[in-house]
Amino acid sequence: MASFSTSEFKSGLKVLIDGDPCTIVENEFVKPGKGQAFNRVKIKNLKTGRVVEKTFKSGDSVEAADVIDLDMEFLYADGEFYHFMMTDGSFEQHAADAKAVGYASNWLKEQEIYIITLFNGAPLAVTPPNHIELEVVETDPGLKGDTAQGGSKPATLSTGAVVNVPLFIEIGEVLRVDTRTGDYVSRATKK
Amino acid sequence: MMDRPSATKTSLEVRASLLSELRSFFEARQSLEVDVPAIAKSPASDPWLDSFTVNDPAGLHIGYLLTSPETYLKRLLSEYQCPLHAIGKAYRANEEGSEHAIEFTILEWYRPTTFRPFQAMVSEIQDLVETLTEYGRPEVIAYSDVFEAAYGLNPHQATIDDLVQFSSDLVGSKAATSLDLDSQLNILFATEIEPHLKNNIVINFPTIQSAQARIECDGADSVAKRAELYIAGREIANGYHELTDAVEQAARFEEHNRRRKSLHRPIVPRDDALLDALTSGLPESYGVALGVDRLLQVMTQSKTLSECMTFTGHL
Repeated sequence: MASFSTSEFKSGLKVLIDGDPCTIVENEFVKPGKGQAFNRVKIKNLKTGRVVEKTFKSGDSVEAADVIDLDMEFLYADGEFYHFMMTDGSFEQHAADAKAVGYASNWLKEQEIYIITLFNGAPLAVTPPNHIELEVVETDPGLKGDTAQGGSKPATLSTGAVVNVPLFIEIGEVLRVDTRTGDYVSRATKK
Repeated sequence: MMDRPSATKTSLEVRASLLSELRSFFEARQSLEVDVPAIAKSPASDPWLDSFTVNDPAGLHIGYLLTSPETYLKRLLSEYQCPLHAIGKAYRANEEGSEHAIEFTILEWYRPTTFRPFQAMVSEIQDLVETLTEYGRPEVIAYSDVFEAAYGLNPHQATIDDLVQFSSDLVGSKAATSLDLDSQLNILFATEIEPHLKNNIVINFPTIQSAQARIECDGADSVAKRAELYIAGREIANGYHELTDAVEQAARFEEHNRRRKSLHRPIVPRDDALLDALTSGLPESYGVALGVDRLLQVMTQSKTLSECMTFTGHL
């Protein structure tokens, strides 16, 4: 198994800590003038999403994690698994469970491309695109003429996600939403 | 991109005026500025300092790049017995990070004095910070006080077993038990204490960290007469009430090599020229080394050292 020395540490590096796949968020070289060198590292556990701080003696090695990010198209959900397909022409499919999909389930739309993180070949996490366009399936009636400012109301989107939208938005409209914050961005541009 | 200067224009201007103010500071205190060689015959013995070796074009070993001008300044001090300072480059292998560079600018000064040398050193460091920066006069605190406040232990009495319980939380229990006393203290100090030191001079270090400082009694404890300046959570300067006893210095060299051996690090040749200088008579004195780039980093509130250095990462 490949491993990385502390001198190779940089943000984004995927390592195995206590058996869990992790990514290095921040790496700091610490050395008192006359003392031993250490690396203070912020590590995100890719399974739990938790960020912890760990310290390594400089020169120590950590096992590399077999973690890879791939673009995949969302196909369908069968109630237990979410099915994705590679976009490289191989038509290879992967099934992600609810744990791997996590909050991304709010933003799953057929034919949209997602980043699927595979750990030892199995889906570990699903990252939606930063912005996604979804149709409003339910919201209170729009207020005529109120197109400028003031007030918002909840709207349910086709994926089941609920976002706050301006009062003039009506059922059937397609909205652009920021998946990182869950905020309404704008009406989708007409195609 | 890699070959462009890493420094901001502002930091270069701050550096230029800092260097000029440092020179005025020492000139006003009758210190003689000296320029010493960058290559030395013997490397620093401190267990955790790695020196670059220098070879001639035929591949023959001719010496080591200085990790600090200490050996030359002490030899000059022994010869001329007057206050001395040098501002120049120093080199430390394997030290690279947001606060470290393998090549950096060091200010080192020595002052012979028989009247309370340790107190004189601390107050001179305070004067320097107060005169040259906007941080004001650093507050003096004892190593044992800050350590006890953080860990509830007297660092001068603590054993490895006492410290492992805390270091285990940082590096895991397996790695923690492999650390020697010096590294236990260092890792605990660097993680829980140093980041909180806004503008402080920490005095009286554990004897395992005496390096070239004298050891004296402080109540029931033996302490190293060493003072470290920290600003904005960063180590800026390091001073010693200097060891002048050649026999004791020779014993420290041996001890350093013993520790190097147990740490599986290379043994280094003894600095006999320095021992000769001590034998022929180093005056009662103190000496301080200050990282100029690190000081600039805190003065300009830069996130990384490289913003204060003309070129980094160019090799």
